Amino acid sequence: MAAFYRRRFLKQGLAAGLALPGLTGAAVPGPATAEPVVVLTAYADEVLHRFEAAFERAHPDHRLQLVWRMPHDALPYLQGGNPHGIDVLWMASPRTFHALAQADMWQPLKVDHRDLPDCIGGARLAAPDDAYVATEMAAYGFAVHPESLARLGAPTPRDWTDLTDPRLAGQIAMPVPSVVGFAPVMMDIVLQAWGWEAGWAVLGEIGGNARLMDRGSTFVSDEVGTGRAAVGLSIDFFVQAAVANGAPLRFAYPRHGGINPGHVGILRQAPHPVGARAFVEFVLSDVGQRLLLDPDIRKMPVRPSVYRAAGQASYNPFQAAKSGGLDYAGERTQGRLGVVSALFDALITANHGEWTALWQRVHTAELAGRAADVAAARRALEAAPLTEAEAELPSIQSAFQQLEGAQAQASALRQHWRAQCQRAREQARVALDQAHA
Amino acid sequence: MTPMRLPLLFVCTWWAVLPAWWALSVLPMSACAEASASASASAPRWREGYAQALPDMPESDRAAFFRGRSLFRQNWVQPPSDDPATGLGPLYNRLSCVACHTHNGRGDAPPENGRLQGALVRLSVPGKGAHGAPRPHPVYGDQFNEEGVPGVPGEGRVRVHWRTSVLYLPDGERVAMRQPELLFQDLAYGPLSPTTAAPSAVATLRSLRVGQPVFGLGLLSAVADETLFELARTPHLDHVHGQPNRVWQAATRTTVLGRFGWKANMASLDEQIEGAMVGDLGVTTPLHPHEACTSLQSACLKQATQGEPELHKDQLQDLLTYLRWLAPPAPRHSDAVRAAQGTALFHHLGCAACHLPSVKTSTTAAFPTLAPRTIHPYTDLLLHDMGEGLADHRPDFRASGRQWRTPALWGIGLAQLINAQAAYLHDGRARTLQEAVLWHGGEADLARQRYARLPRDQRQVLLDYLSGL
Repeated sequence: MAAFYRRRFLKQGLAAGLALPGLTGAAVPGPATAEPVVVLTAYADEVLHRFEAAFERAHPDHRLQLVWRMPHDALPYLQGGNPHGIDVLWMASPRTFHALAQADMWQPLKVDHRDLPDCIGGARLAAPDDAYVATEMAAYGFAVHPESLARLGAPTPRDWTDLTDPRLAGQIAMPVPSVVGFAPVMMDIVLQAWGWEAGWAVLGEIGGNARLMDRGSTFVSDEVGTGRAAVGLSIDFFVQAAVANGAPLRFAYPRHGGINPGHVGILRQAPHPVGARAFVEFVLSDVGQRLLLDPDIRKMPVRPSVYRAAGQASYNPFQAAKSGGLDYAGERTQGRLGVVSALFDALITANHGEWTALWQRVHTAELAGRAADVAAARRALEAAPLTEAEAELPSIQSAFQQLEGAQAQASALRQHWRAQCQRAREQARVALDQAHA
Repeated sequence: MTPMRLPLLFVCTWWAVLPAWWALSVLPMSACAEASASASASAPRWREGYAQALPDMPESDRAAFFRGRSLFRQNWVQPPSDDPATGLGPLYNRLSCVACHTHNGRGDAPPENGRLQGALVRLSVPGKGAHGAPRPHPVYGDQFNEEGVPGVPGEGRVRVHWRTSVLYLPDGERVAMRQPELLFQDLAYGPLSPTTAAPSAVATLRSLRVGQPVFGLGLLSAVADETLFELARTPHLDHVHGQPNRVWQAATRTTVLGRFGWKANMASLDEQIEGAMVGDLGVTTPLHPHEACTSLQSACLKQATQGEPELHKDQLQDLLTYLRWLAPPAPRHSDAVRAAQGTALFHHLGCAACHLPSVKTSTTAAFPTLAPRTIHPYTDLLLHDMGEGLADHRPDFRASGRQWRTPALWGIGLAQLINAQAAYLHDGRARTLQEAVLWHGGEADLARQRYARLPRDQRQVLLDYLSGL
């Protein structure tokens, strides 16, 4: 019997191709030459990998060619009449899309997206004149390490002011906005929500509790995920993806939040407009939108029906917006983001050790019931180095928009603000010394 | 005790009887503590199982490890740009390292008629080149680059057709087996092989390769050459005879032992990195300062960068640090008794002759901070004849067209949990571990036959054992 089985096994093994050469170059069925669609993007591999495979599966007559640039690098790449033959721009950079609109570089999408909302909270998702439309959203908030918070006896923060809690001293991973791409908007959310003066006071005090991070959100997730920090300020999808991959983290959306939309648009000089339109339709389709929920992506779809299908467990930004949680209007203040970053450096990044030590002295005295004794020091530390009106001046904003010839002016302003902040720190130190705090 | 927590308790119990090295691994260290805390969490607990550092990584290497991780995940950019990851192309396969090593594991197996996202095709022509290396194709080089930066046509497109057939095991179990057929489309630089229209084109050897896992490479690099030579001299049953590959090392201009790559055609980790950077991404390196354009690819040559390597020395060092310290995951057998049965079967069938469960490392000049230890990679790092079914007929230094380096099995049970598109063997043909076992031929043919003759439940014991690695 055994011999019979062996013969049958070997015979069928041969039939199964076990003894055949591994590869052949034989002609096999396949589609005819596919037309390229050239997409300039700044998304991570996890996003591109899945959209590329799914798009080509849905549209075998098109072939996606991905050209990758950081958002700040995309604009120069397209200038001069789209010399590299890009069809579609797809990235989360409202400033870049706005700048290209100013330069009249878009052609109308002519894609039916009437069933998608034009706005969410204070953020515009669809541009006027059908120039471009959002395909995904990201929100800002807090990566938290529940065990560390429990150990500190601190509750999960529900809003930005909760991060001024002295129990969180040294436990907050805070990205530096001048070097971490998503962080300027995050700071600006606080400035819009609390107002310029009070907003800087909140940011400054959080900075006094913080460990500054000069790398992106994966590093914030690392810091919090390993318990080196109890809270990390982050854009949500990095953390949500880490959570989906098993990291011992949670993500908390604050009461005052904001959305950063990722848009898609077709360039006026797109060499392949038919394929470009097919791509835009795909990323807005139900299939494309569901890809965003992949555990490795975790960006928020712009199609509300996808949330209904995903169930109650997932955060629904449309619900959050209805209760006023996403009122941040990025377009209104996007011109000042460079100024905000530079001010953050002057106030918080420069001499950060001294900054945290001063705040710790203030907090220690306040916890001892001596708030009145250190009120002067608190006032000195909370003072914004610039008024909101000054921050809105085009002459100041232009210095921080990476324009040629603006570096000298920016450098002078930075020096001026740093000196001003140094004086404020000195004033606070003297006040604390006098109060024996 | 809730049913949810029972398996996790077994996991902890199993680790308790494992050698000291397993107890030192990153995941087990925290897993017992996590077990009760996160047993009810819905998130898969192991999807970052290939992304942990060895627990004894010194703090002084921590920053470089994370910088290396960023580079590994970073999409590269066509020059000129002020992006630190500048140097993509002119010809390339993918934008990033992680595109072919998903979560540091296997790349995606090519889908039917779809794009080679986590795989590539090696090319050569018959004969040996300088120092015994394969002779590159005169037009397309030694690797088919599907992509080109704007202005440089990609070399074309490879589509895979999976030819499926059915194998019946002696007890009647039906196993669908598949193997790839390649179709080259839209060839931008002329025919790849002789055709009716171009009969003079040179015959081409092609080999489909899926991206390999990149964890544990530091430990494998720390196994002494002499240890591998000794293994090659060790006689085994079933005429199993491992053979070291001997490869040309450009840095030292000598012939040395090869240990990395599907055919052990790379001697060291830094050479492996530099080869992949220039071959897969088109990023020049200190060892490969010229773009991989052939002399007949004029658009590629026109856009080729000159001067300093695009991968700077400090970036190479960061990537090396990352890959050296990337830990293999600990085994996850949930039933110690069944795992012991699986271990016994693994040895009894003859698997362990090549998939060597344990080997010792030594301190190396290249990796001085790693203390010597016994590791459990399930490989002897040697070449073996795997039979005609798996042959690619593309020799590489001393590796014949039928020989492959024994792939490590540590972490193999996580492969499809971490990447649902992952499959096994060099070209991703095996969708299950059973298919992979049944493709073994040549020196492993007797082991395969023993496996096929096992009762079905015993086959499952072995497969469960492998799934727990």
